[in-house]
Amino acid sequence: MTEEQLHDVRLTVNGAAHQVRVPARRLLSDCLRHDVRLTGTHVGCEHGVCGACTVLVDGTPARSCLILAVTADGLDITTVEGLTEADGSLSPVQQAFEDCHGLQCGFCTPGFLTTITAGLRRKPDPTEAEAREMIGGNLCRCTGYQNIVRSVLRAAEIARARGSGS
Amino acid sequence: MKVSGDAMLHAPVEKVWTALNDPAVLVRTIPGCERLEATGPDSYRMVVTAGVASIRGTYAGEVLLSERSAPHSFLMTASGAGAPGTVSTEVRVLLADVGDGSTRLTYDADAVVGGVVAGVGQRMLVGVARRMAGEFFSSVDDVLTGAAPVAAVAPGVTPEPGVFVAPPTAARPFGGDAFVRGALVGAAIALAGVLVGGLLGRRRR
Amino acid sequence: MTRMFGEPVTRVEDDRLLRGHGAYLDDLGHDALACAFVRSPHAHADVLDVDVTGALDVDGLVAIYTYEDLPGRLAEPLPLLIPHPALTHGRTQYALARGVVNHVGEPVVMVVARDRYLAEDAAERIIVTYRPLPAVVGIPAARAAEHLVHPDVPGNVAANLVQAVGDVESALAGAAHLLELDLSIERSASTPMEGRGVLARWDPESHRLRMWTSTQTSTGVRAAVAAKLGLALVDVDVITPDVGGGFGVKIMHPWPEELLAPWAAMLLGRPVKFVEDRREHFISSAHERAQQHHVRVGFDNDGHVLGLDVRFWHDHGAYIPYGLIVPIITSTQLLGPYKPGAYRVEFDSLYTNTLMVTPYRGAGRPQGVFVMERTMDAIAAFLGLDRALVRERNFIRPDEMPYDHGLMFQDGRPLIYDSGDYPASLEKLKKLVGWDEFEHVRDAARADGRRVGIGLACYVEGTGVGPYEGGHVVVETTGKVKVATGLTTQGQGHQTVFAQIVADELGVPMADVEVVTGDTRRFGYAVGTFASRAAVMSGSAIALAARAARAKALKVAAEALEVDAGDLEIVDGIVRVVGSPGAAISLGTVAVLSNPLRYAFDDAAKAATQFAVGDVSKPPVAEDDEPGVEGRGFFSPMQSTFASGMHAVVVETDPDTAEIKILRYCVVHDCGRLINPRIVEGQIHGGVAQGVGGALYERMVYDEAGQLQNASFMDFLMPYVSEVPERVEIDHLETPSPLNPLGIKGAGEAGVIPGAAAIASAIQDAEGFAITAMPISPSDLFELRRRHERAARANGGSHERSTAE
Repeated sequence: MTEEQLHDVRLTVNGAAHQVRVPARRLLSDCLRHDVRLTGTHVGCEHGVCGACTVLVDGTPARSCLILAVTADGLDITTVEGLTEADGSLSPVQQAFEDCHGLQCGFCTPGFLTTITAGLRRKPDPTEAEAREMIGGNLCRCTGYQNIVRSVLRAAEIARARGSGS
Repeated sequence: MKVSGDAMLHAPVEKVWTALNDPAVLVRTIPGCERLEATGPDSYRMVVTAGVASIRGTYAGEVLLSERSAPHSFLMTASGAGAPGTVSTEVRVLLADVGDGSTRLTYDADAVVGGVVAGVGQRMLVGVARRMAGEFFSSVDDVLTGAAPVAAVAPGVTPEPGVFVAPPTAARPFGGDAFVRGALVGAAIALAGVLVGGLLGRRRR
Repeated sequence: MTRMFGEPVTRVEDDRLLRGHGAYLDDLGHDALACAFVRSPHAHADVLDVDVTGALDVDGLVAIYTYEDLPGRLAEPLPLLIPHPALTHGRTQYALARGVVNHVGEPVVMVVARDRYLAEDAAERIIVTYRPLPAVVGIPAARAAEHLVHPDVPGNVAANLVQAVGDVESALAGAAHLLELDLSIERSASTPMEGRGVLARWDPESHRLRMWTSTQTSTGVRAAVAAKLGLALVDVDVITPDVGGGFGVKIMHPWPEELLAPWAAMLLGRPVKFVEDRREHFISSAHERAQQHHVRVGFDNDGHVLGLDVRFWHDHGAYIPYGLIVPIITSTQLLGPYKPGAYRVEFDSLYTNTLMVTPYRGAGRPQGVFVMERTMDAIAAFLGLDRALVRERNFIRPDEMPYDHGLMFQDGRPLIYDSGDYPASLEKLKKLVGWDEFEHVRDAARADGRRVGIGLACYVEGTGVGPYEGGHVVVETTGKVKVATGLTTQGQGHQTVFAQIVADELGVPMADVEVVTGDTRRFGYAVGTFASRAAVMSGSAIALAARAARAKALKVAAEALEVDAGDLEIVDGIVRVVGSPGAAISLGTVAVLSNPLRYAFDDAAKAATQFAVGDVSKPPVAEDDEPGVEGRGFFSPMQSTFASGMHAVVVETDPDTAEIKILRYCVVHDCGRLINPRIVEGQIHGGVAQGVGGALYERMVYDEAGQLQNASFMDFLMPYVSEVPERVEIDHLETPSPLNPLGIKGAGEAGVIPGAAAIASAIQDAEGFAITAMPISPSDLFELRRRHERAARANGGSHERSTAE
């Protein structure tokens, strides 16, 4: 009878500590979705190409389908659920997507939101070309990207208006 | 559901027949057998905890031996029930002398399965059944060749007459009486105890 | 109150999706057992043995099934969904392979285990013994029929269908000029970001099955599951959760997994979930697009098409459960906005040992449009005429509407265009892209050593296909309005656009309207979301339902206020007398009054109890009446309503590397009246991206052994933001449809239909030679250039009208 060794992993997700017990091969994407029960991070390909699974690891976008949960012990992870403001309102990036019709089916959206959130932190005032560059690694099948590019620029605008760095 | 197979046992036919009829051997060699109790001249009651994965469970069963033609063949009818499901089966057993002091045993079982675990699929059931049968014959072979002795009763335990309990630990010296009783009880129960299936008009093979 | 219809209202779906609170299939059923499948690694093979011994040791294994385990109707082949008289040799698969496999990816063994990791472990350890058979791959091999996919299907032909109008041979013989073209389109696929998934829960106590599936048709799945598992329809619920895109592939049903998961749930007494991974989607869902065409066209000196003969071959893969819909659409929609005089179209639908073909956005139209539009360009090139002019000369005129082509469409009804103004669309497009001035752009570019070209393509799309859709609207005593329709949603914003319709029809704030789609518990009669039909069909049905509810509300309010119903209006959820501010009653109260009560369940309800209201000279509920403020409506049109559009593209090709860049992408689009312009625009953007993908990047590559070589996103190239045009310039025309109460036409597929054709047209313009196959990559273009240069040299100089250096 096969039996996998389980490992105790402490994940910090959106500022909260989660203790999980997982086999070594458990992907972070599966761990977030099924062990921590934060299903906002989606799995589109499991080979790191589509970007739907993108989370922020210590603030940097990373493909959670290419990370083993056991290696995320002690790292600071932000998922789409952690992007909203403290008072529960939508973040500038989330609000921008709503304003600009930047999502249709919504499946790829969490990956874009985390990616852009990090991107705007590094580059709060992107040109259109820079906005395209920022989202150049995420696949979307519904929107054709036009409104996503607009959303990036609108998010920068909202962030400026709110006076925050998003 | 039909399961059949064979095994080589390294002892002459008579010895094999004797071993297969010895409850002290059976309780020791039937995979997961915890308890064996004679309920009549040709019948036993037993408790077996066996199976694989979702099929695994504790089954209470009854076995009846008939059509005996010592030391070559007999028929065993068995049924068992446990939390995961139920089984009833008929197993025909043949022992043949190979000539070099070994015995070739062939079995042919026809089983009907029911209950919750009924739905795990034919191949899984047959696969598990064959595996359990294989484990059983292998254990019996170990007993026959002396590789795994059958123990005397553990100290401090007073057995009821006709009740055989599986030893809590491993090998013990062989020494039981030989009962001319249902051979292949073990194999049948091994098959019976793990087999479940046959909901929704499943076909019998 | 503002009118909602026509407003670019923000979507009601967005807030929860943006917060990560979507509920897609795999977000559900954390307690369910998981499935994995052993799928054929061979394109064609006999299955000799299945040995599961190795899998038995996997911790967490629960069950292993093969074909022999399937009972009753589940052991029959899967349904042939859309029969057709011409489909004489239809073959569908078994839920689990029965002795033979016909494509890589076909499911042979089903494993159920505690989780997906363990299920895959077990699946890996199962040894299936195959005897490989020769594989038939590609249209040429299928036609040659040296080997057969199905032994009892001669020539690998599932169907041969001819449709003809007029005498094409005479027309061709009598024409001043005749051209022949060979054109081909490669296989591609819908490839939504979320794959397929099914979750099944069986309740033995109530003997009911509840399923969630990532589908485009919950009623279709329900009917198939009930039939195959021997359940009553009323004992099966099918709920469509949030769906991460469909684009056609999820209209196919029942997948084997959609039958096997509920069956296993019933057997095992545990919920069972199947979620495919990306590779499985590539090799076991469905593809589309592969066709080869041979065209003969006869025309006069002005470019009028006098006769058009199209012969084509359609590769539908190993099985044909969806019937002939795709090639029939190709056959009929190939005509586009033109009237070609005599027309004859014949196709063979062929089996190959590859994944089956079912509709992908456009559903056969992109192929037909590619063929027609390349033909138009060829005619223009031959005669030295402007390409837009040649098209214009062949247009059906607005005063010829409705125009009967004399053919049968994919809905079994006559192909009759109801409305459309093609000349006006072309004018708009030419102006938008600067068609007439492009000569200067081209010359300026050439002076810079750059190579640019402009192309265009026109299409007509039959949308709003029947048989029907239905809607239900109910006003609750709280004043909230609950709306349901049976078709499904995969990102089209139905919850928003249908709420817009109800808000207008009923006179309530949009915020008070909640819409549910795709849940058979809420609405049980439906067809599905495909063929750009949801807004037309469900929109119309919901409008009718809302009107019925409104009429009821006014009737009840009129009695309560003791006025005539005709004097009442509903504004912001308040029913009031027009022009009289005092007399008013909220819709919630009207709902209370509409249901004569014995028991007051809350304070408001007291108003409707038997000692509070009631005329003792009449029964509490009149004979022809019902309690409640509800409306149910069904919309079933005589035929499809025809949307249309035209795209113009400017491309630049690199003289050295042959890379292709889209400089401008212009769309003129007519989908009748727009419910939500922002959503329509979004649909066009998405379609255009898929059109670009299909023109330049996407192709399924099967080797001759039938192995899919690019079954991952690393090798199957879908557009990122870098591949789509920087702008999609859109202009609208609105020729309202006379066929439904809202005057709308479908918009979902428009963006993708002419993409390949328009881009091919532009590349041809840039390069000076014909583009006859899509997709076209830089390597393909490079090769084509070399070939034409060699041919030109061999002929002692160029003979083609060249627009580039």
